[in-house]
Amino acid sequence: MLLTPEILTLDILNILFLLFATVAFYFSMRILFLYNADATTPLQYRLEKQSYLVATIIKFIFAIKIPLFIFFIFTLDKISTVLPGAMCGAGVVNATEYGTPLLILKILNLYLFGYWIVLNGEDMKSQERKYLRLKFFVFVVAYFLLLIEIVSQIVMFSSIDVKSVVDCCGAIFSTTNGSYIAEILGAKPLYLLTTFYGVFSVMFIAYFTNNRYLYSLLNLLYLIIALVTLIAFFGTYIYELPTHHCPFCLLQRDYGYVGYFLYITLFIGTFYGLIVGLVEFNKKECKRKLGISMVFDTLYLIIVSYYLLAYYVKNGVFL
Amino acid sequence: MIKLLNISKIYNGDVKALKDINLEFGEGEFIVLKGVSGSGKSTILSLIAGLLKPTTGEVIVDNKRISKLPDHFCSEFRRDNIGFIFQRYNLIPTLSVRDNILLPLLPKNLDRDTLEKKLQHVLSAFNIKHKEQSLVKNLSGGEQQRVAIARANINTPKIILADEPTANLDEKLSLDFIEIVRGLKSSNKTIILATHDPLFFDLDFVDRIIEVKDGQCY
Repeated sequence: MLLTPEILTLDILNILFLLFATVAFYFSMRILFLYNADATTPLQYRLEKQSYLVATIIKFIFAIKIPLFIFFIFTLDKISTVLPGAMCGAGVVNATEYGTPLLILKILNLYLFGYWIVLNGEDMKSQERKYLRLKFFVFVVAYFLLLIEIVSQIVMFSSIDVKSVVDCCGAIFSTTNGSYIAEILGAKPLYLLTTFYGVFSVMFIAYFTNNRYLYSLLNLLYLIIALVTLIAFFGTYIYELPTHHCPFCLLQRDYGYVGYFLYITLFIGTFYGLIVGLVEFNKKECKRKLGISMVFDTLYLIIVSYYLLAYYVKNGVFL
Repeated sequence: MIKLLNISKIYNGDVKALKDINLEFGEGEFIVLKGVSGSGKSTILSLIAGLLKPTTGEVIVDNKRISKLPDHFCSEFRRDNIGFIFQRYNLIPTLSVRDNILLPLLPKNLDRDTLEKKLQHVLSAFNIKHKEQSLVKNLSGGEQQRVAIARANINTPKIILADEPTANLDEKLSLDFIEIVRGLKSSNKTIILATHDPLFFDLDFVDRIIEVKDGQCY
């Protein structure tokens, strides 16, 4: 069992969140089943007050959970120093069977929590509380995912054996180990780059034609292709090493912590891109969110392209 | 214009302030709510202003179900439609008369000229122009009340609610206040005044006197 100050911090915070979220879950269920906007009964007035209080509790949990993801990634990277064989967070994630599903779930939750916060904001702006039922329904779903995430995280950190040798990222993200990762990494760069820049170009057109549903869908594709190309292609230019495909080493000091900047930029851009297709904003707000998404998506593209071009300018060849 | 439908208000689970009351007030009416302390008058005013939510029933003002509005919408509604004169005036003693009166306009982000125009209008209308820069804590009770009235009117609300407005005034100042109310009534504002001051019971311009007793209206 591995216990460091970072893991303890994460565990204590998560247990607190789970406690508050369980209270919020109980009241959310009551609101879902008993809320009747037209009623003027004591129960309805109580539920209206409770809906405000519960929404505030959920908002704070989710608002802290989002930046806490960065701390989780930082923790993975930090404890990699005590695991024999691990060179970065990838070794820690791969040390137990819970690591990869947990990481995927955490990224999914990141978007879900953000979606809930936006939904809540829109609900609070409307006198009719038009998203009230939807937001509490989304929370009920999110609660179970949060529960799975927290339990998995505690189990993952508890089951890490510091005496066992784990794979380093070079072995996990190798093009020759026969895994599904190897197949992705082995894809031809031309296909990857055509898809990446192609999706971005269509997204750019969708932005200027104000086609928010298409833009939203393309952002989902952009998120996937951006992650794949980062691991399979652009990462090698950041490391200046054709065989190194790790998505975690980018987060280390040696590479100027550029990974944090890349992931945050990508997640913000694609989150706002996805959200415009999921929530009915007023025209001005929709335009603002589209704008934020476009700026961050473009910024991500510029940064990864910069490493590619900088390498070419410096060395006169591509990897 | 204002409807209270089947309103009950219970404080702390067992104090029944209002018991299933139904009231309706028309536009431009001047209504006096009469009753002893603790009878439920202030609760009625607070419900109309959206400061409180009923335990049951609903409050409708201008066809808007204000008791069903979320709190921040209630505040907006109150700011735009209701002027509230409190028994203890609820002014900020360390601010000047000018700043106290302008306070309700702050969230509206109006331009300087409009603010000044509105301010000067109420300062003149309620005869406190000469005290514009004075701190509220240095004013007499009557002057403080005029500041409170000016503040209640700065947004040109359609409804004026006054809770025991003459409780801290002598008879002369109370008569001055009555003249101010007469002026407000002539400008077609709906005025609901809660009081146990007998001076208000025989006024010629009162439309209705409603007696509030043990949480019920007669």
